[in-house]
Amino acid sequence: MILSIEQVSISSSKKKIVDNVSLSVGEGEWFALVGQSGSGKSLLSQAIGQMLPANLKVEGKIYFKGLELLSLTKKQFQSIRGKKVAYIFQDYQGSFTPFRTIGQHFDEYHRTHGELDAKSRRLESIHALESVGLDENLYDKYPFQLSGGQLQRASIAIALMLSPDLLIADEITTALDSVSGHRILELLAKKQRETGCAILFITHDWRHVRRYASRLAVMREGEIVESGGKHRILDHPKHEYTKRLIEAAPILDQGLPSGLEEVEER
Amino acid sequence: MSGLSLRLPKSKKSRLPRLVTLLGLLFIILVVIYTFVYLQHDPNLTNLDDRLLGTSIQHPLGTDQLGRDVLTRLLLGAQQTIGFSLLALISALIIGVPFGLIAGYKRGVVDRLFMRIGDGFLAFPDTIVAIVLSGLLGPGIGNLVLAIILVKWVNYARLVRSTVLSESQKEYVLVARTNGLSSAKIIRKHLFPHIVGHVLVLASLDLGKIILLISAFSYIGLGVQPPTPEWGAMLNESRPYFQSRPELMIFPGLAIVVVVLLTNMAGDYLRDHFDVKKEVQQ
Repeated sequence: MILSIEQVSISSSKKKIVDNVSLSVGEGEWFALVGQSGSGKSLLSQAIGQMLPANLKVEGKIYFKGLELLSLTKKQFQSIRGKKVAYIFQDYQGSFTPFRTIGQHFDEYHRTHGELDAKSRRLESIHALESVGLDENLYDKYPFQLSGGQLQRASIAIALMLSPDLLIADEITTALDSVSGHRILELLAKKQRETGCAILFITHDWRHVRRYASRLAVMREGEIVESGGKHRILDHPKHEYTKRLIEAAPILDQGLPSGLEEVEER
Repeated sequence: MSGLSLRLPKSKKSRLPRLVTLLGLLFIILVVIYTFVYLQHDPNLTNLDDRLLGTSIQHPLGTDQLGRDVLTRLLLGAQQTIGFSLLALISALIIGVPFGLIAGYKRGVVDRLFMRIGDGFLAFPDTIVAIVLSGLLGPGIGNLVLAIILVKWVNYARLVRSTVLSESQKEYVLVARTNGLSSAKIIRKHLFPHIVGHVLVLASLDLGKIILLISAFSYIGLGVQPPTPEWGAMLNESRPYFQSRPELMIFPGLAIVVVVLLTNMAGDYLRDHFDVKKEVQQ
């Protein structure tokens, strides 16, 4: 197990937002965390990287490769962020600092994690860009000059650049149209096969779960109601909430009914 | 109804004010540098035989009540007035900007502590602080500059904090953090460039105010002490001769007006330049 979360609770001063959650992600696994908005899945993922705002308190234990994350000091943690645990977020427009070029972002993260030679940094960054199917000349472009899909590709490239062991993808396709979203996920799946990193994939889209995930957990109001292998849960959901959630997913196998009643032929 | 409405002509701002501002500032800077490096005349050389002279080749702007050359004193006064104003401004920036950056980024207790300290300073009007300091430590330009710094830094801290507060909530700061950047680096590389524009605008508008303040306090005798030439002090010294030789007051007065006007115009220009909303409209 590369990541195991054991009885983690996140609470603000008023109430418990995530309640006693345990889950584990295996090496090279695509683990999907499903749930409606406000169920606490994003907060849980941010707790892994100690990214929570200061007013939220975390209890419990999070082990990453046998290392207890919540007990690490800030300094120790900085070397893990980006290098061993990487994040991709939903908002691709906001993921890049507006007045810095794409290349400067790559360069900076490279240097933070110890690559000192400027030339090799540039080469590796361009290589990372090309590996996600982006052109070399985007290196000197500013974020607003790229399209949404390109930006999300670039953030995948940044996240995977230092070959992390765990990639946390927080609703990365929500802000994209479905074709671009599909391409991004295909790319992510391909990169996963190449690098063998584990992915914690946060979503509320069953199509992505069905297609890519190997295991999944369903979250509701801060608790995990059901978890297990993909086929087990999708085909034989046990919990009432999971059943309802799956039923609510729009499926297009009966065409696209407009809502009008059909005229019966006599 | 349409007859009543008047379509405004699309205003195309002329470049003339901008050019004038630029040339004027350039001219003043050159003059200050020239006097600093080359000026050989003694501004304090008194000659009671030549007192209150009119315009001549030897004294282009005449002499004052002690027979000192007005032009020389005016040029050296520029050094004093502008130099000390810049000193006060830059010191206020050096204190205020980091304060604001840290308060806005760290939030919570640090923010509250820093801002309450700032509010405390803000409670005193600049005039009062300057007078009290002069009263306690004695009049002098050093104390005046100190008083200005004490009052002005809070404005910058507040301005910077408000910008950083909203910017640090954005996703790219989170992304930078997830990629292992330290707080210091995020502040320096990802947040600082956002505030440069705002700070520059406020600073250029403030420069005019500070020049006025220094001149005003020198005028009432709390700033630069005689015989050092300073525009406000020159105004004060030539006050008794206002009826017989008004130009003695007009020259330093005009110098103050022109410099303050130019810095304000520069501030206006910078504000337009950094105004993002205007860019969107175009």
